[in-house]
Order: sequence, then structure tokens, then C-alpha cells
Amino acid sequence: MSSPKTVDRDLLVFSIWAVLGFLGAGFLLEGLTRDAYWVSLIGIAIIVAAFIAHIIVNAVFDTGFANGEVALGIGGFGLLAFVFIASWFTGGMSMADFWSGLTLFSVLAAGLFIYLSTRHGLRGAFSKFHIKPSDGA
Amino acid sequence: MMSGTASSAWLPLYGLFYVAVMLHWARVAARENGDYQTFFSAGHSLAPWVSVLVLAGASLSGWFVLGGSGIVAAHGFSFPSVLVAGVSLALPGVFFFKRIWFVGQRLRLSSQAEVFRSYYESHFLVVVSTLIALVFAVGFAGLQMRALSQIIETLTGGTVSVLSASVVLGFILFAGSAIGGMRAIGYFGVIQTVCAYAATVTLAGFVLFWSGGFAALNNGLSALAATPEGAAKFLVSGVIHFTAGLGRGGELATANTAVANLSLALAFMGFQASPLALKIVLSTRNANGFGAGQTWVLAGAFGGLIAFAVAIIGAMGLIHPALSVEAMLARLQEGSPWFAATVFIGIAAGVQLLAGLALLTAAESAVRHVYKPYFHSTLSRRATVTLTRVAIAVLILVTVLMQSLTPVALSAIAALALPCAFQLWTPLLGVTWLRWITRPAAATGVGFGLAGVLLTEPFGYQVLSFLGLELPWGRWPWTIHSAAWGMAANLAAVLIISAITNRDAFGAEAREARDFLYNTLRTSKRSHGLRSTAWSAALIWLFLALGPGLIFGNAAFGKAGAEGAVWLVGMPSLWAWALASWVTGVGLVWFLAYKMEMASPYRHAIPAYEPPPRLRRDQSATEQERLRILVITGAAAFVLIVLIAFSFGG
Repeated sequence: MSSPKTVDRDLLVFSIWAVLGFLGAGFLLEGLTRDAYWVSLIGIAIIVAAFIAHIIVNAVFDTGFANGEVALGIGGFGLLAFVFIASWFTGGMSMADFWSGLTLFSVLAAGLFIYLSTRHGLRGAFSKFHIKPSDGA
Repeated sequence: MMSGTASSAWLPLYGLFYVAVMLHWARVAARENGDYQTFFSAGHSLAPWVSVLVLAGASLSGWFVLGGSGIVAAHGFSFPSVLVAGVSLALPGVFFFKRIWFVGQRLRLSSQAEVFRSYYESHFLVVVSTLIALVFAVGFAGLQMRALSQIIETLTGGTVSVLSASVVLGFILFAGSAIGGMRAIGYFGVIQTVCAYAATVTLAGFVLFWSGGFAALNNGLSALAATPEGAAKFLVSGVIHFTAGLGRGGELATANTAVANLSLALAFMGFQASPLALKIVLSTRNANGFGAGQTWVLAGAFGGLIAFAVAIIGAMGLIHPALSVEAMLARLQEGSPWFAATVFIGIAAGVQLLAGLALLTAAESAVRHVYKPYFHSTLSRRATVTLTRVAIAVLILVTVLMQSLTPVALSAIAALALPCAFQLWTPLLGVTWLRWITRPAAATGVGFGLAGVLLTEPFGYQVLSFLGLELPWGRWPWTIHSAAWGMAANLAAVLIISAITNRDAFGAEAREARDFLYNTLRTSKRSHGLRSTAWSAALIWLFLALGPGLIFGNAAFGKAGAEGAVWLVGMPSLWAWALASWVTGVGLVWFLAYKMEMASPYRHAIPAYEPPPRLRRDQSATEQERLRILVITGAAAFVLIVLIAFSFGG
């Protein structure tokens, strides 16, 4: 059974992504379809706003990203990166699409780095990836 | 431009996502419920902020985008009370919610029917509350579900028929409300509410984009106002017209009087007195959120949504009559199917929130408050929940069938929901504020009120016409909505009967509730001193924003006419008047909620009332007898109706 605080936090996270996530994705797709970089940029800004709102909710409830959220985020990032690279190789990508994708991935990667370093410190952020063999003992 | 397949893939994709999220929250809720233990009212544990959002979402989101924008598109700005609905709906919440919650918490009640049973000990009021919940579930929500099904048919280019869409939406509704009960409606309702809000804002944004901006939209309105037939859509056509009503010589085009506006606003106010709204209120953990909810969320945020976004969407339909919400979504679907899917899912979420809440409330009321106490008192809690789930399924089946087979009857039943719910104001006022309203007065008043509504609505005169009685008036006689006709009869009965019946003839629970409210919610000296100010402010606001004062709005910020519209603030005068009414209305709601302490927070624990122990007798023989009488009465009534119809009607 979920605690009331967990439910409140999850409801807020779902609400944030239901609104900002879909709107951001909509603008991004609109920009990619119409080869309008600025429209894509609005979508990216909205997605970044969703991440910021998510992090604020996490801070209010004194928690981090849930395992499922991390898996979904990394999975989604990987899938998008795959589609981007595949499109690049097949050559069906305009310059506006190329810059839109590059901006999205750069912003997400930079955001991840900033988030980890502010939450765990630079060394702590590195330790999140670098697991020493003795840790498991 | 996209290919047809790519274009139509987004709606099912987003739809599947919506269903997945809904099932997740239904599962969370079902686990917390222990399957059935807290199915009906979430163990009175919904967080105040959850209740606030769900109340606002159910009150004003999906159905208002469809219905409110439709009114603006059809009648222009001659019904400014529609644009101030956020405030109109918040006012009853301020009056009732805190006190009803206190009564519910003290007596451990979880629905309106239980409040009426405990306080008035009136079987009639229990049955009326149940019937109104059923009208909301089958008619009011069903009509909007039909509108959604039609949009789905349009967006899929006819691939999915209205009937198929209705069935799919029905299944989704059943899953949402029957698995997780009230808790699922609360949890998922938050997400539905924000989705509906965002969808409305997004659609309004697209309307502004298509029309070239706010100024260009108003230029279009200005051009329309300069035409002879268009000018009337920017004016309230007087205080009252003494016509016999629509269908009996009254013209729809001239029905937009000030009293029509006022009585329509009264109908809106019926929602907050409905069993649906009180179901949310009585499932809430504490009463501390009602003030903020009614002031800032409902009147403020959602009121602003209607005054701006719904008005913008409606204005587009006014300029281009072919551009209904459905047509706008179809246009969006052509170029930006992902946005069309986002907006549609948002609107659908708002409607489904209302429909889910209505279905649960109606099914619970029918099973738990009518069937179980009168016909099967030994029904276990688990069996009650199971039967409620079955009742939800049956109600969905009925509404889906009516959506396809009898849309006219559905529309006539839907029109009864708000005005009938408004008639519950008098018994609720008796519970919360006016201790002099007696039990027979409350019950008779509601009876007269419902008769008043039925006799001025198409459903009533169609039934009477079937039985051979032709009423000399039509819908909205004297341009007054049925809600006000009903309330006139209701109030007259309540005042007369309260004056001649014993005001102390209440049961133990009612006396306990009255004493508890009197001792606990005494207002401070400061708010007592502000009473006359509050009355003055409220009456002035009602007069100017919803009442006869609306005719000042015709020319307060410019005028329309054949010589060209002159608008001082760049928008129709009545729209500007409505915006001013909205802003001042938020102030009024804040003043009443906080300064008059009508919905202010209260942070003390409320102990449960311990009723004196009673010996439970075996009721099975009485229940069998009741069932027998019901069957015989039903059969006799059926035969009588058939005989009358054959003799006099057609």
C-alpha cells in the first residue's frame, strides 16, 4: 500500500508530465514536421520545465527519482537517440530537424549532469556511475 | 501534411496511454481500499487539494468546454452569466461545503442521501437525491459522452462509429469507477482535471493562432456586431419578456434577457448542491481546503478559464458557425494530429471525470441508500460493493444504449439534472444555516420544486403530452429557466409549511448536528460585524453580474449596432462586463470564504457522535412486504399510465 505522501507526490508528477510532457512533445513534433527550429525549441523548453517541476516536487517531498522513473527516462532517451541516429543515417533529416534533435539531447544531457552534481556533488555524481568492486562486499 | 494512417495513429496512441495511466491509479486505489473496505468514500481520506481539484474539474471542465462554448457560439455574448459560471459555482460551495463536511464528520456520513436520512429522517429526500444522481449519470454525463463519441467518429474519419466509440468510452468508464471506487475517482480526477484545463487553454491558443490574435478575433466579432442579425448577439435583450416560452410563441433569439441569465446561473449553482459534489466533499480528510478551493481554484483559475478560454473558443464558433469544437478538432487533426489528440484526450478526461463520479454516486445511492435499507438490510459490505459495481455496469449500458437509440430523450433528461439539483438547496440550507426549515417543509418544498422544474422543461411537457395534457406554456416561460420556476414553488412551500409546522420536531441526530454546528462554528465578532457589508456586497454583485443590472453591460464598455461597433476596451461590452464581474466575483468569494468565515480553515479534531445503542430487529418480513408493495404499485402505475395514454394521449 502507498503512503499518502507517496500518493500525493506521484499524483503531482503524473499531472506535471500529463500536461507539460504532452505539450512539449507536441511542440517538438510540430517543429520537426514543419522544419521550424524555434517551434521545436519551445517544445524543448516545456520539457525542461517539466523536469524542473519534477525535481521541485521531489525536493518538496524529500525524495529522488523513483527507479521506474529513472528506467523510463533512460529508456526514452535511448529510444529517441536511436531514432535520431537512424534518421541521420538514412538521410531524411533536414537541418532544422538535426539542430532540434541535437539541442534536445544536449539539453537533456547537460540537465542530467547539473542535476546529479547539485544533488550529490561532483564526486558523488561520479560515484553514482563508478561502482567499486569492494562496494559489493 | 501527414498521411491518413500517420495522422490517425496519434489518437489511439494517446488514448492507450490515458487508459494505462487510469488503470495504474485504479490499481493503486483498489489496493488502498482493500478491494471493498473503503470503496465508497475513500475512508474519508482524500487530501483537501485532491478534493479541490476534482470538485473544480467535475464542476467546470469538460462539459463546460463543450456546452459553454456552444452557448457562446449560438447566442453570442448575450448570456454573460455563462462566462461568470466560475464564481456562480463557487458561491454555493462557500455556503455549504464546510458546514456539510462538519455534519458529515460528526455523524460519520459519506453521501447526501445519508445526510438527508440522518437529519430529516425523510425517505422522500433520500429517493430524490438518488434519482437526481441517476439523472446526472444517465442523462447529463451521457449527453456529453455522446458528444465525445461524435468527435471520435469525426477524428477517425468515420472508421470508428458513434456506437463503437460509446462502447469503448463506456468500458473505460467502468474500469475507472468500478475497480477503485471513490479513491480512484479522486486520484485519477486530479490528472483528468489538469489535462482538461490544459486542453482548453491549448485549444483557445490555437483559436487565437487561427484568427490572427486576440485583436483580430475581436475585429471579426466587431464585423458581426455591425450586421442587423448579429448585433442582438452582443446585447442582453431587456430584463424580462412575458412570453409563453419556447415552443409556445417565445423566440429563442429574444430569450436572452437578464432574468434568463440569472435563472441560468441558478441552474449552474445546482451542481454544488448535487449528490455528486457532496460525495467529494464528504470523502475529504478535512475541511481546510474548501476556502482556497472555492476562491482560488474554482472561482479564480477555472473562472478565468471560462471567462477567457471558453469565451475565445465560443467566439470563434460565433464568427464562423461551422467551427464547433468538433470542427476545430477536425481542423487541428489535419495539420497537427498530436495536438488534436492532446486536446481531445483532455476534454474527454474532463467529461469522464464527471461521468465516473456521477456513475459511482448514482450506483452507490441506488444500492446502498435505497435497495439495502429498504429491501435487503442483511446485505454484507462486500456484497454491497459487488452490487454497486453491477449497478455501474447497468447504468453504463443504459446510457450507451440511450446515446445511440434515444438521443432526444437523453437530451431532455440531461436538461433536468442541474435545475433538479438546484431544488436541493432548501434542504441543504436547512441542515447548514436555516434551522427553522422543518422536515415536512424541506420534503414538500423539494417536491414542489421538482414539479416546477418538470412543468417548465421539455421532459415534463412531453410526458404530459403523451398522457393527453397539453400545457399552455413552453420551455422557459417569461424567459425564466426551469431552475428558478422550481425554486419559486420550492421556496413558497418551504416558507408556508415551516410557518405552520413544529420547528422542534427533529430526531436525535438532527438535534446533535444542529447543536454541534451552533457550538463549533460560531463566527467571530469581527465577521459578525461585517454581516451587513457581506449582504450588501453579495446582493450588489448578484444584481450587476447576473441579474437585471446586466443591461448596463450592454453599453458600459462600448456598443454594437448597424453604424458599426464601438468597443472601448477592444472587446464586446458584455464580454468586458463579464470579465469585470469575474474579477469582482473572485473578491466576493474570498470575502465570504475567509472574512465571513464561511469556508475558512478549522484545525480541531471532530469526535464522532455516539448514538444510543439500538436493538436491531429482523427486518426480512417487512422487506419482503415492501418489495411486494413496490411490485404491485409499479404494475398498477404502469397499467394506469397505459390506460390514460390510450384514452387521452397519443
